[in-house]
Amino acid sequence: MSNNTNALEIAGLRAGYDASDVLLGMSFHVGPTERVGLFGPNGHGKTTLLNTISRVIRPRAGDVRFMGEPIDQLAPQKIVARGLIHVPQANRLFPDMQIMETLELAAFTPRAREELKTNLDYVLNLFPRLAERRRQQCKTLSGGERQMLSIGAGLMCAPRMLMLDEPTLGLSPKLKDELAEAISEISSRGIPLLLVEQDIAFILSLVDRMYLVDHGEIRREINRSGELDHQEIMDMYFGSEGA
Amino acid sequence: MITSDILSAILVSGIVLGSGYALMASGLSLVWTTLGIFNFAHGVLMTLGAYIAWTVSDAAGLNFGLGLAIAVSAAIMIGAGILIERVIVRPFYDHRDILLVTVMTTLAAMIFMQKGIQLIWGARLKQLAPIATGNVQIWQTTISAQEALIIVVAPLLLGALWLFLDRSRTGRGIRAVGQNPDAARLIGIDVSRLFIITFALSAVLAGLTGVLLGSIRLLTPEFGSEPLVKALIIVIFGGLGSLGGTVVAAYLMGLLEAALVFFVGIYWAPSMIFLLLILVLLIRPQGLLGKVVR
Repeated sequence: MSNNTNALEIAGLRAGYDASDVLLGMSFHVGPTERVGLFGPNGHGKTTLLNTISRVIRPRAGDVRFMGEPIDQLAPQKIVARGLIHVPQANRLFPDMQIMETLELAAFTPRAREELKTNLDYVLNLFPRLAERRRQQCKTLSGGERQMLSIGAGLMCAPRMLMLDEPTLGLSPKLKDELAEAISEISSRGIPLLLVEQDIAFILSLVDRMYLVDHGEIRREINRSGELDHQEIMDMYFGSEGA
Repeated sequence: MITSDILSAILVSGIVLGSGYALMASGLSLVWTTLGIFNFAHGVLMTLGAYIAWTVSDAAGLNFGLGLAIAVSAAIMIGAGILIERVIVRPFYDHRDILLVTVMTTLAAMIFMQKGIQLIWGARLKQLAPIATGNVQIWQTTISAQEALIIVVAPLLLGALWLFLDRSRTGRGIRAVGQNPDAARLIGIDVSRLFIITFALSAVLAGLTGVLLGSIRLLTPEFGSEPLVKALIIVIFGGLGSLGGTVVAAYLMGLLEAALVFFVGIYWAPSMIFLLLILVLLIRPQGLLGKVVR
């Protein structure tokens, strides 16, 4: 594994539920320490894409490579063991478990267990609110706290890459800012990031590059996001709706 | 008029009954909370565990003594639990009506195993030698030492089960899988491995219950049928999805049954228990200690 191997490489990925395909052959990549955004309307395959990469659902065709090695035939726990961590959308985690119990449990794979102490300190520093409520049960947490715990659990898995699915869903602007800061801190450690979001300002503040997902395909690659303003992206977004 | 010796008899026999129920129902409850299915073969696993222990220990069998009998029985129960999970439950994990389908497959396994036991061991009644001999007096009631042993062993086994689920990584993993299997997968838990462990653990609990009760009751191929029905009632009565609720409900059920046998007689007691269950569910649909379904 050389330093310029892409963290993630997807080629011709097809997947879906029952008789219908949701992903119609997707291809894209995430560079070695890159932060990449996936943007697009709801119901067009972004969540299905992450579920297929982490193999919560099985791909029907195509390749997924993580750090240069194929992972599309691996069981979900093997993918986690390799360090590709998926933080799912609106994760309610384990309702009857306490915060600390959940964080400790999330260091489940042998590699994650070795880093348990370091990662736990890191998570509790990053989200002091979790430290204050360590004995509280997951089901009693607010939306923001739950999202922090969900990302915290992802960090406890000792990630070599993180995939976050709509971390700001249903959060207040203030909480979004807090979360954006935490995510940018995480990626500043060199952990490549794949971020699915609906909030354009949020995604623009965090990624190097983005893809527009539309009807189960990558519609457009948007490089150097700094040059794009909000309006241009909105035009693209709504323009593609009519196409 | 309830005199103290009657009260003593009701309490003591209620606790003996409740201890057996608690062991039996906790295994059933564990599978329910983790996999969301009811294992109707749980009762016949209890029967099998007792028969294996009988074959290993009895003079008419291999005559190796009870210690080895319990070990062999527990080891075979691990295998039996794994086999049931593999053969009749696993193929249906993706089925949308898994609960109903596995009612059918585990009922089929129950009948199949009952007939198999009859074929191997015959219909003649058998009884295990008691682990403890003699009598013990508790308050004003005299019970056999074996019954006293059950009173002591049940909380110990249940305590060990609780410790395992609360403290060990595998035990916490089992709870996590029961509460949210997808989230469990995404933190690297091998969900199907924990399903197997859950089934094996539950089968061992059933087998041990069989070994403990097999010297108090007589062994027949239907030895586990009535305990299975009681355990089902207890799991629902205690509140689905709560192991603690199951254990409390088991002891309550034991005491209730002992009291009903005294007041309305053995003929009506079982129907009265069902009547009370229905009343409880009318007032508390989530069960006695159950939480409102999320």
